[in-house]
Amino acid sequence: MHLDPFELHRPTSVEETVGLARSLAGRFDYLAGGTDLLPNYKMHLNLRPHLVALEAVPELTGHSLERLGAMSRLADLERDPALAAAWPALADALREVATPLVRASGTVGGNLLVETRCFFFNQSYFWRASLGFCLKADGDRCHVVPQKTTCYATFSGDLAPALLVGDAEVEIAGPTGRRRIPLTGLYDAGGDGIRRLTLQPGELLVAVHLPPRARGRRGRYLKLRVRPAYDFPELGVAVAGRWDGDGRVQELRLAVGGAEPHPRTFDDLTAPLEGQRLNDARRAALGEEVARRVRPVHNTFLVPEYRKKMVAVFVRRALAQAEEGRAA
Amino acid sequence: MTASDPVADEPLTLLGGRIPYVEGPLKVTGRAEYTDDIRRPNQLVGRLLRSPWPHARLVSVDLREARALPGVAAVLTGERYPTPFGVLPITHDETAIAVGKARYQGDIIAAVAAEDERTAELALEKIRFEVAPLPEYADPEAGTRTVAEPIHARGLAGTNIQKEVVQHFGDVDAAFAKAAHQVRVRGSFAGVTHAFTEPLVTIAEATPDGRLTVWSATQVPHYLHRALSEVLGLPMHRIRVVKPEVGGGFGGKSDPLPHEIACAALSLETGRPVKMLLDREDVFYTNHGRHPTRNDVRIAVDGDGRILAYDVEALIDGGAWSSFGTVTTYYNGVLAMGPYRVPNFRYRGRRVYTTKPPSGAMRAHGGTNIRYSIEVALDQLAERLGLDPFELRARNALPPNSTTVNEFRITSTSFLKCLEAAKRASGWSEKFRKLPFGRGVGLGCGFYISGSNSPIHFTPKMPQSTVHLKVDMDGGIAVHSMQADIGQGSNTLLAAIVAEVLHVDLARVHVQRVDSDVSPIDLGSYSSRVTFMMGNAARSAALQLRAALVAGAATLLGIPPSEVEVGHERFTPRGRAEPAVTFEQALHQAMEKVGALTATGAYQTRPAGGSFKGARAGTAPAYSFSAYVAEVDVDVETGDYRVPKVWAAFDCGRVLNRLAVEGQIEGSVHMGLGQVMGESMNYRASRMLNPSLLEYKIPAPQQMPEVEILLVGDADPEGPFGAKEAGEGPLIATLPAVANALYDAIGCRFTELPITPDRVVRALEERRKEGRPWKGA
Amino acid sequence: MGSDDRVSFTLNDRPVQAACPPERILLDLLREELRLTGTKRGCDLGTCGCCTVLIDGRPTLSCLTLARLVEARSVTTIEGVSPAQGLSAVQRAFVELGATQCGFCTPGFVMTATALLREHPHPSRSEIEQAISGNLCRCTGYLAIVRAIESAAGSAP
Repeated sequence: MHLDPFELHRPTSVEETVGLARSLAGRFDYLAGGTDLLPNYKMHLNLRPHLVALEAVPELTGHSLERLGAMSRLADLERDPALAAAWPALADALREVATPLVRASGTVGGNLLVETRCFFFNQSYFWRASLGFCLKADGDRCHVVPQKTTCYATFSGDLAPALLVGDAEVEIAGPTGRRRIPLTGLYDAGGDGIRRLTLQPGELLVAVHLPPRARGRRGRYLKLRVRPAYDFPELGVAVAGRWDGDGRVQELRLAVGGAEPHPRTFDDLTAPLEGQRLNDARRAALGEEVARRVRPVHNTFLVPEYRKKMVAVFVRRALAQAEEGRAA
Repeated sequence: MTASDPVADEPLTLLGGRIPYVEGPLKVTGRAEYTDDIRRPNQLVGRLLRSPWPHARLVSVDLREARALPGVAAVLTGERYPTPFGVLPITHDETAIAVGKARYQGDIIAAVAAEDERTAELALEKIRFEVAPLPEYADPEAGTRTVAEPIHARGLAGTNIQKEVVQHFGDVDAAFAKAAHQVRVRGSFAGVTHAFTEPLVTIAEATPDGRLTVWSATQVPHYLHRALSEVLGLPMHRIRVVKPEVGGGFGGKSDPLPHEIACAALSLETGRPVKMLLDREDVFYTNHGRHPTRNDVRIAVDGDGRILAYDVEALIDGGAWSSFGTVTTYYNGVLAMGPYRVPNFRYRGRRVYTTKPPSGAMRAHGGTNIRYSIEVALDQLAERLGLDPFELRARNALPPNSTTVNEFRITSTSFLKCLEAAKRASGWSEKFRKLPFGRGVGLGCGFYISGSNSPIHFTPKMPQSTVHLKVDMDGGIAVHSMQADIGQGSNTLLAAIVAEVLHVDLARVHVQRVDSDVSPIDLGSYSSRVTFMMGNAARSAALQLRAALVAGAATLLGIPPSEVEVGHERFTPRGRAEPAVTFEQALHQAMEKVGALTATGAYQTRPAGGSFKGARAGTAPAYSFSAYVAEVDVDVETGDYRVPKVWAAFDCGRVLNRLAVEGQIEGSVHMGLGQVMGESMNYRASRMLNPSLLEYKIPAPQQMPEVEILLVGDADPEGPFGAKEAGEGPLIATLPAVANALYDAIGCRFTELPITPDRVVRALEERRKEGRPWKGA
Repeated sequence: MGSDDRVSFTLNDRPVQAACPPERILLDLLREELRLTGTKRGCDLGTCGCCTVLIDGRPTLSCLTLARLVEARSVTTIEGVSPAQGLSAVQRAFVELGATQCGFCTPGFVMTATALLREHPHPSRSEIEQAISGNLCRCTGYLAIVRAIESAAGSAP
């Protein structure tokens, strides 16, 4: 399979990148690890005439316990024991992404911004043409929930839930300068599978900041998929928290990905648990409530009824395993 | 073995051991040459236009724009070479490029050759078809009735039924009437596909001498040769088929395929070499994988658990073409006839065309889905009878040297030894119904043909396999045969048999690339025929060469040939160490007057089967047998399960290459596990939803069980050195063993494959709803 | 990088320079331009791992790598890990233990295994399974491959 011709840009600074983005407005994609973008390009999904490769921008690379450059390779992060000890849910998630070969190229930024997925979108041009295309590429209707306005493609990154429960923030550079927002704010909770990010045209994800206040939380990321390799999440549940010596919750975060067009947190459900001891019943009740809110649709391999049911099980398990302090 | 067979009583020196593949060093260094590694000078790129419509009449086509594109060398549609073909001579319903109508999404409707891939694809975009949509037929059940627009004119009486088989042996109704117990399983099986790692690829080169050379990733070079000749209208002797290294087949390269012929047509059209490499998505559309199937199996037994009768129905989703489908339709019935004695048998099988990618032959073709339902049914019967599942099967085992009710000739069977070995090794008695809730063990058994007794073609009459040997003064032995090594190790076995018979170093023996100009015909790698048939042919050829060498040695030693003892690379008077003649000395003596020594060995099956219609289907010169125990560990909340271990007792007769046999068994367990755990061609109506290796769920390395292999077969009287097949049969028992283990673990029966975690959870919920406790849960 | 449509990098320990438009995929550059055909094309979409090469020592999917982006980096293919005479320890183990059947996935596995053993000379079974889980084999069921890697780990390099 070949790629259609495009112009390749290889900026060497954030400023140069943002400048390019401005001049190429709407006619480019950033190229990070390429493990998601290039298959999509090979399938002629939303091609742009310019690619801006980010691997030569030094500020985007490298990581510490406080900061993950957007171009940090997942394979490098996975091999850092200090990072794993400090951020156990993240460590779980890193190991669960696709395959070691994908992780060799795949990046933090790429995983956070990964294109949403759907059986009717992640197909060749030929395949999609045969159905008359869809909202998300070249068409004007949805084959999952037939209508003409909302895309149900599923957010399929593993890192987002794990970083959300670490209260991560993202640093964004754009034409008007830099801004730093909570990771929750990156995902447009009011959007859909197409309008899914709050990034403005030309903005660049520079880094993820891991706040020291959340470091060392016990945590867990559990991923539902058919096989223990290759697959995107059919559901991803992350939990992180602290417990006092009496087993009372001091702080607790929960996030769910892989089930809807964007990952999300459930602070309104977890906050009331602070100061309480969790037991099986409380964990189960939380799981049921989260499951009630999460609404997967039939656009991945496993049926949505099952994925919804598993939300409750995964939440309960992730809570219990995080509290046990299961080693990352 | 005949009295004239001097090696019959010799102990084996090479065979029986673990023989690494002779081409292994080339494969591990990337030096083995596969079709896509070949590039011919001035080669064009061939691409195919596929139908986006599930079913449509092709009203007209405008090729002008495509042909006018700079860099386009040829654009073809079906009318140029409309002759239908197919692997079976009786069901030629396939065309290289669709003629008149498209029959599934993915059907080839035009072909282009261009200077490069991008130009070829641009040209495809410029081909304009005017079509009239026709009704989509996704459901085989609907196709059994009269339809508005049959997919093929040859469908049975206005329906989409491609083949119907009705058989009745004995009196099934009477047997059921007197049965103490009966059980019924209605199985439902998603389609699965081979998913070999090497995509389909062909290079064709028409040359000014009027010849056409075709290099192709095929398991059946001879059938490809015939199909090319028929469709292109060239005599076979003007076509040369070459099979480079093949990156896996599993049945998916065992039909002559449309793209191979379209590629050749483009080369004839342009006079230049054309390479056609299919994208992975195209490979899924080409398919010819295991048929989506629904079956209905009823089994009657007496009070002691002796089988009285089977009553079997199968509804088989054929997709758009016939392929091997007529055979499939028979096999889904008749491969029920072992490994147990079944005195009464009734079968009705229907294979129905649908507007989906064509189904065909996949590893353990026709024997897998029916076996699953039978073995699950037997598990139920054992429970009802209060019998151990092993005991129920042992009571019903087909004896050696017996005949089935449909007149299969059973010669060797070590099925009882398989049962004993699997039971003992697995610690069955300590585990069955005794492991805690969520864990369990299950037994599944299998039976498969060791080659099809009938060749596909009956004209001209010729052996199923032929092997040529040539040895010249350099002492190297060149072996030619059209047997197709696709990774199963047949080249290695071929070399090893020759080396064994001649008692020479394996390094002397050079198996030559399959090339129809020089390779004598072997019908190819399908129906688990190669070891048995090629093996016998090779053995026969090597024996002739050995006689010539012995004669040469005898001359040098001054003794009669009957007094010559054949040692490793040397000849001596019988019972003495000296004087010795080396292999080369004997060779040079033997070739003094004749030049290079050559020999031809052949194998032909003997007539078999009854005289009723379809009697030959399923007849084989021997059969393999198996008994597998699987252990499972179920996460009863998520429905996820692991298979920590499989005990695989297999009867492939005498083991000739232990390394290869074990590799076939482990690979079969993996592939069988795939069909149980997650592999499935998913459709919305007749559009395949998951034509990619990402969404087609082949099990990952972490999902593989430990496999304990128990090779317990006795030598087969007719197999080469006593061997039978081990390439396909080892898959079969995996599936029911896992399903029956799931029952032991959680008390749920699964009759729908694959058994994905969501189905496990649903089954657990249903069982609880029924208020049926299991192991205290 | 320069926009002269060329790429310069180290290939199997030798400098190489090749014409290379931006859209050229590394796998295509290796197979079609440089004619190093040991690296295989299995799915072209990053799932099967038949195209695995080492980039700066790490196993990477050449089918999802733009060739221009290996500028100034080091690429090792199966041709680069194969000794002039004989076989490497990994290769030998693959042959002797039946870890290669059809062989089409084998170069990719050899690359992955070679890199694994450089990083972890004595990997556990589960580390091996994890490491090879991006390389798809349809023939062996992986068991012989795991055994071969274990065996190569135990033998002298």
